[in-house]
Amino acid sequence: MGAVITKRLLSGALREDEGRKGKWAMSKTECIAMLLAGGRGSRLGVLTSKIAKPAVSFGAKYRIIDFVLSNCANSGIDTVGVLTQYRPYLLHSYIGNGSAWDLDSINGGGISILPPYETQTSSAWYAGTADAITQNIGFIEQNDPDYILILSGDQLYRMDYQKMLDVHKKHNADLTVAVMPVAWEEASRFGIMTQDEDGKILNFSEKPEKPESNLASMGIYIFNAKLLVETLKADAIDQTSEHDFGKNIIPKLLAEGKQLYTYQFNGFWRDVGTISSYHETSMDLLGPHPAFDLFTPDFPILSNSSTRPPAYVGSNAHIDDCLVGNGAQVLGTIRHSIVSTDTFIGERAVIEDSVLLPGCTVKAGAHIVRAILGEHSVVEEDVALGSIDMTRDTAVIGDDVVVGKGEE
Amino acid sequence: MQNAIGLITANYSTKEPSVLTESRPIASLPFLGRYRLVDFALSNMINAGITTVGLVMPYNYRSLTDHVGAGKDWGLSRKKGGLFNLPGSAFGTSRTGSRFLVRDLVHNKIFFERSHEDYVILSSCNFVYNMDYRNLISAHASSGADITVLTQTAKGKDEDVIGFDVEGNRVKGLKHGVVFGDTAFLDCFVIGRKALLQMLEWYEATDYLDIFEALSSDYERVNVQSFNYEGYIVPVFNTRAYFKANMDLLRPEVSDELFPVERPIRTKAHDNAPAKFESGSHVTNAHISGSCRIYGSVADSILGRSVVVESGAAVRNSIVMQSCIIKSGAHVENAIVDRNNIVPAGTELRGTPDALFIKGKARE
Repeated sequence: MGAVITKRLLSGALREDEGRKGKWAMSKTECIAMLLAGGRGSRLGVLTSKIAKPAVSFGAKYRIIDFVLSNCANSGIDTVGVLTQYRPYLLHSYIGNGSAWDLDSINGGGISILPPYETQTSSAWYAGTADAITQNIGFIEQNDPDYILILSGDQLYRMDYQKMLDVHKKHNADLTVAVMPVAWEEASRFGIMTQDEDGKILNFSEKPEKPESNLASMGIYIFNAKLLVETLKADAIDQTSEHDFGKNIIPKLLAEGKQLYTYQFNGFWRDVGTISSYHETSMDLLGPHPAFDLFTPDFPILSNSSTRPPAYVGSNAHIDDCLVGNGAQVLGTIRHSIVSTDTFIGERAVIEDSVLLPGCTVKAGAHIVRAILGEHSVVEEDVALGSIDMTRDTAVIGDDVVVGKGEE
Repeated sequence: MQNAIGLITANYSTKEPSVLTESRPIASLPFLGRYRLVDFALSNMINAGITTVGLVMPYNYRSLTDHVGAGKDWGLSRKKGGLFNLPGSAFGTSRTGSRFLVRDLVHNKIFFERSHEDYVILSSCNFVYNMDYRNLISAHASSGADITVLTQTAKGKDEDVIGFDVEGNRVKGLKHGVVFGDTAFLDCFVIGRKALLQMLEWYEATDYLDIFEALSSDYERVNVQSFNYEGYIVPVFNTRAYFKANMDLLRPEVSDELFPVERPIRTKAHDNAPAKFESGSHVTNAHISGSCRIYGSVADSILGRSVVVESGAAVRNSIVMQSCIIKSGAHVENAIVDRNNIVPAGTELRGTPDALFIKGKARE
């Protein structure tokens, strides 16, 4: 601890002497995280029509971004830049000052929200994952880290980034890419790495038709900071580049003969890109031995949740294999479902294989099967919604939508 | 932003010997699974826009400071104002039945002197309610009273509640204990900050009295008005009342009034998973807190955070506090089980509705 603080103080003092950034120059941090949270998530349909994908509710009391921010908190990363663009209001207000994830520490840089901005000569939206970071090189320089961890704000997993950083340092790597084995038949959906026995990356192909390996990139990178900044600056003036990490930056570094290594992850990891994967991943939280277990006291998922009273279960209620958030009132029957904070389920209502997002109301006698009900949506009395027919799509009701009899 | 500061007396312990309050003041008694009694007093203050709150500490303050910390969860960790932990009299205030001991106020004079707001609102931690104090403060400001006390017509006999003799709205005297129809004091009042400082000077010599006892010969001179509160409120001075107050919340209309979304009761945030109801569980008429895992059966009960009810175990008409494990086949009925207890497989903890079985806190 002492050594770390001294390092920070010294480096802060140095910068002031140099007069480069003046009194607001931050102290040095070994590793900062930059979290890409600006994507539209358009395949999530009505769930992301009003809010950014990282702000979508998940797991009865969380929002998707909680998982990656909790990973940061649980890995001791105290400086996080969150790059936002699409529908950022709810996301910004939810992140607040970052204190819910202990990202308001006095020693670290805490959390910084980094939206696109205008300069004297130009203004531009983030045009790609790499471009978003390029436009925030100022944030990197201000923090002056040795390493930069690039993350996505819309993935669900638990990972100790410190371990990944240790591996990165052990390999003396320029870039370390987190990978995980995927089913061979799925491999062509991912960026696929081939590696030697030491984990050194030999080849990388984005969504290959005939994959040589089943190690998929998770979109989690640790870069040596200096190299990343140089590479991004060069990429920015490359007219042919799409300014994307997977498509441009990684192939370029590989071609230049840089030291690229993998960090293999074997736990649960999902990018809930579509309605059906959102639904499936929600169901993964259930059952006696869930694929994704939320009960992990040693690696807590932190959230900026509101304080609501415990869930109330009525006298005629029946609950079987469900996660139920605070403030929920369950008077009817719920089976194999996620019932979030402040939901109401009326008498005689039956909910099966569904996900009810916060504040949603299902009135008496309604029957919901394989559906996702948006935040503060209302299903009126005796309405039937969804189908047990697995060949049909999961039914989705958008936020604040009211479904009346005859509208289903 | 209110033109008032708050003071909460958190140093009341129950008169009755109870394992529930053996190691903690009433203020930090767990309530409805995830709250502690002090949350109601604190939330009522901050929901009225009060940003400076003094908390008069009990001698056994560990659980209380653990809970309130720097006041962050109530928005009271601030540069201007915030939460002030103030020293309170060592032996608490229960022996004398006092709520607002003059000594506790005199010792903390500096808290009042350093403020600039016109009013002080004072409250104990012994009542469970959710009230918009702005109504009380504005009634006080417009009435011209020296003190405005929050009252309600007593619905029954209660020896621990303080009653006022009133003529119209004017308080003329005080008594310990109320019966049906009396004007019950809800342990909350508003006073001008300067008037309070003046009174502390008057009554400093009798600092062993409650401020309303000290006032008893002066009710002609000092204009004390009552302000009637119509909403749901329940006093918690003993185990029986504590149990009843919890069980009242099983009626949704009471729960809705106490916990409206727009005026939340805030408490220390804990980051735990949602409650999980496993296959084969059977739960009816119960409040189940976050991170509980239910495999067995629960009826007419309140479960605190992270309680596990194993399969074949049953909980009936009981309060089971945080982190208890009810092992397979165990039966808990008419009981209050304090934190961290493991009820072994096949055992019974059984009281009667009139004589509850009470199991004190177990070691972690």
